[in-house]
Amino acid sequence: MTAPKKKKEKRIGLFVCHCGVNIAGVVDVEKVAETLKDYPGVSFSTNYVYMCSDPGQQMIIDTIKEKHLDGIIVAACSPTLHEKTFQEAARLAGLNPYQIEIANIREQDSWVHTDGARATKKAIKIVKSHVEKALQNENLEPIKVDVTKRALVIGGGISGLQAALDIADHGYEVVLVEKNPSIGGKMIQLSETFPTLDCSQCILTPKMVEVSRHPRIRLLTYHEVDSISGFVGNFKVRIRKKPRYVDERLCNLCGECEKVCPQIVPDEFNMGLSFRKAIYMPFPQAIPGTYTLDAEHCLGLSPVRCGKCKDVCDKKAIDYDMKESFIEEEVGAIVVATGYDLYTMQALGEYGGEKYEDVINGLEFERILSASGPTGGVVRRPSDGKIPKSVVFVQCSGSRDTEKHNPYCSKICCMYTAKHAMLYKHRVPDGQATVFYIDVRTGGKAFDEFYQRAVEEDKVLYIRGKVSKIFKEGDKLIVWGADTLTGKKVEVEADMVVLAMAMVKADGIMDLLKKLKISTDINGFLAEAHPKLRPVESLNAGFYLAGCAQGPKDIPEAVAQASAAAAKVGDLFAQKELIHEPTVVPVNDELCSGCGICIAVCPYDARSLDPERGVAVVNEILCEGCGACAAACPSGAAQQRNQTDEQIFSMLRAMLRE
Amino acid sequence: MKLHYYPGCTLKEKTTALDISTREAMKRLDIELVEPEGWTCCGAEYPLTEEKIVGLAAPIRVLRQVREEGGDVVVTTCSFCYAVLKRANRAIQQDPLKHKRINAYLRDDIKINEWTKEKTTGFEDYNGEVKVLHLLEYLRDRVGYPRIKSRLKRDLKGLPIAPYYGCRLLRPADEMNMDEPDSPRVFEEFLEAVGCKAVDYPFKQECCGSYLSVSLPAAATEASYRVLRSARMNEAKAIAVTCPLCFYNLDHRQEAVKETFLDFPGLPVLFFTQLLAWALGVDKALLGLKEHSVAADGLFDAHQAAEVRS
Amino acid sequence: MRVKLKAGPDEREFIKRIEELSGENVYACYQCGRCSAGCPMASEMDLLPNQIIRLVQMGLAEDVIRSKTLFLCASCFTCQSRCPKGIDLARVMEAIRLILDPKGKDAYGPDEISPELARELPQQVMVSIFRKFAK
Repeated sequence: MTAPKKKKEKRIGLFVCHCGVNIAGVVDVEKVAETLKDYPGVSFSTNYVYMCSDPGQQMIIDTIKEKHLDGIIVAACSPTLHEKTFQEAARLAGLNPYQIEIANIREQDSWVHTDGARATKKAIKIVKSHVEKALQNENLEPIKVDVTKRALVIGGGISGLQAALDIADHGYEVVLVEKNPSIGGKMIQLSETFPTLDCSQCILTPKMVEVSRHPRIRLLTYHEVDSISGFVGNFKVRIRKKPRYVDERLCNLCGECEKVCPQIVPDEFNMGLSFRKAIYMPFPQAIPGTYTLDAEHCLGLSPVRCGKCKDVCDKKAIDYDMKESFIEEEVGAIVVATGYDLYTMQALGEYGGEKYEDVINGLEFERILSASGPTGGVVRRPSDGKIPKSVVFVQCSGSRDTEKHNPYCSKICCMYTAKHAMLYKHRVPDGQATVFYIDVRTGGKAFDEFYQRAVEEDKVLYIRGKVSKIFKEGDKLIVWGADTLTGKKVEVEADMVVLAMAMVKADGIMDLLKKLKISTDINGFLAEAHPKLRPVESLNAGFYLAGCAQGPKDIPEAVAQASAAAAKVGDLFAQKELIHEPTVVPVNDELCSGCGICIAVCPYDARSLDPERGVAVVNEILCEGCGACAAACPSGAAQQRNQTDEQIFSMLRAMLRE
Repeated sequence: MKLHYYPGCTLKEKTTALDISTREAMKRLDIELVEPEGWTCCGAEYPLTEEKIVGLAAPIRVLRQVREEGGDVVVTTCSFCYAVLKRANRAIQQDPLKHKRINAYLRDDIKINEWTKEKTTGFEDYNGEVKVLHLLEYLRDRVGYPRIKSRLKRDLKGLPIAPYYGCRLLRPADEMNMDEPDSPRVFEEFLEAVGCKAVDYPFKQECCGSYLSVSLPAAATEASYRVLRSARMNEAKAIAVTCPLCFYNLDHRQEAVKETFLDFPGLPVLFFTQLLAWALGVDKALLGLKEHSVAADGLFDAHQAAEVRS
Repeated sequence: MRVKLKAGPDEREFIKRIEELSGENVYACYQCGRCSAGCPMASEMDLLPNQIIRLVQMGLAEDVIRSKTLFLCASCFTCQSRCPKGIDLARVMEAIRLILDPKGKDAYGPDEISPELARELPQQVMVSIFRKFAK
């Protein structure tokens, strides 16, 4: 153990806060200040009603100067609230900000006890312990970190595209990674969007083109993030380039390869309602505009089993020898915009699971409605292509269910169901559209008016009752529901049923998040730093959230959130350098035996072993000062700055004395 | 091997077909069924309110008896008995109040030596040591379909049978823990294992009317009709049940169904164990077919199923 | 006639009793109606299953107690298996039957069964129906 630090004659000032009645209502704050007045080391002691107020802070600043204080203690609320406030006040008075101590006598005392006398005794002990710590505090300087002013955006849907455009327009470079062959996400699959009935592709493709042409955006489609290391302002990202087997610069979209390919695959862009070839273009407006060879469904590339596509390619764009490769990028901020998936119908056995072809989900219906879809925009049912004369729409399929499925509301289904019903009625005016609902949630701008239009103008029948069972009888689908408003059990014979399936976390997201090491909420959506005040940042510094990856939302909200995330990235990049808290845990070489225990316990991978010197070393920028290594170190070589073992023992002695 | 078997009161009087066919079938699998001594009616209904704890006494008494006889598993074929025994077993394990009160009831139920008038056996609290299994589960998990398949003596040639689960076998799902309530597979897998074709139809877990066939026969008649009709529409040659009450509603009361719903021509109702016994080579006379109201003999005619091995 | 909704001691007592007996939180029901939609006997009922629990939520004991619905429940548990809030409505029905007037006209006991019927009925059915409906 190092020799105990000689306490030079430090002059500590104590400021005990009343916090109105929050503290003073239980703890006798005057008594605390009075008792501590004569404690060794304390040169000044007072109490005040609101220390965090302007006069309170001014009092601190003035007292530090007048009484020549070397350190101060503010006995008040939790440091998470006002530590920065008082550190700043100290700094303005010329005192090193790391010489201030916050003694929490609110959350740890007055808010959890009712016995005033004993609470006051406890407060005195708490303050005494902080005095002991303060007497040993050292001046510390914050660690300065450079910021790489480039951003990574993961996901090329509407949220990712918007964020990328905003960051790039700010003047920074953006790397946009999209795992599919084209950008566009789910929005490009939609037919029309609510509440305007704008053609989805018409409003999205301009953004897609803008992204592809933007001088500061590096668009990497058919790429996936492989690993991320580093920390905010200084990330190193390893990105895997999947082999397309087609050189996008040479492909001229003539389509000859597609014609000769013998392999037929369900088309995922059309939700399996039609087929594509193994060499394909996902949709006509795909960006980049190139064919892609799906190796999984190709007859074989090594050895080459077919080779027909290459034979007919005039531009010699097809290359079977392409291999997976890796790129390294350095970025300062990462925006995660990985989107969502729909809940699987297999989980809803009472609706037939996936047995019935004519029971479909919202995205499948979008493709049926779409002019570029498998039916050319004519509403036909998948099983036999007949135009359905009775369509039932079932809301809340797998949402709002605390028992077996997803407890939350998926937010967009009420609106898109109204949209679906309206569009169906527009195309099949003599058809019957029935919607089964529990509630209709239409909170956005012009949303309720939109829903009323469906009911009043398009005569969609809304029945308040959750569907219990759907089954097939002959040619029809029987839907069992109830009208809770009239108290009748009802049955509808439908030609087709559209289920508003719950929005769930994107498939495969957990693997990605393990690499990013950012947290999710209980439902697998990305966790925001604060549900109300910090909706687009993750608690992990440097990561920002946008779009449905953070939770179910509609397009206007996704765009707003993406722009907000971009603004936050702008905040980060506007700084000359980042400040990292200096209360880290350095290594005392003389005491370190190189046992390596601290390396294993560090959750931030901040420590490593120096093979030549046989001692541990710490990357102070990665270290978050959690203290796990300090607790684990058997020789005391790991001592946290301003929270050394000696300081902690002093605090304990102060609390346990008398 | 010996296996504890709880038939339930109805199987000994009104639906002996289910009892006999079960015994004969299990004999062919080298399993001797042993009934716990002095068993009584289980009570048929698991008490759904917190106050009716006394309703747990009879089923727990039976389970305790199984334990006393050295058994750790008891098998039953009647869905109602299965539900009562299984749920009572869970209640004893999970609710300390029920555990205390039922064991207190049973404590008085110890045998007294006739000569010395002293209690002859010590009493140990029953804590849910015995596992309650339905025969379908037992066949799937403990016997295994391969073993059954290896013992088949008759090839049922894919006879299309509609499995009828009814209500008690699967629900409430978290207590019965038998299978997924809306997409179950256990009965279908059984039928396939014995050489039948399991017919998929949407009414396999819909209520047959249950005890309402007594108090409100019209409602039950309609419920039974819907089940039978759905099975028939999906081309089943018969519907297989695991419960005497389902049998009563679907078979005995099929006359009433036909009288009310003239479009329904009829459908034989079988117990799943009759199919098992027949496939394992048991003689037709030992299947209890005389108890059926709707003639089912035709299905068991020799030329309907080919002999696999002698 | 306007129904005066009260949250008085009687209403609270009624709701509390139902919750204690059934072990279910009646306030968890958000009236989606799925129970009624899947109930095999709902078309015969005067009040749908979801309406029964609604009346309990509102403390309107009188309306509930007079309903035929309570004696149409077959305890098939379809409601329970489909309810998105996991409420076992069959338990609530049984709890209400327990606090009914014992001589209620819909009760079904041994007196209601003729000797001929008794000879025909499987024991299982008789025991079940007495357990559920007899007083």
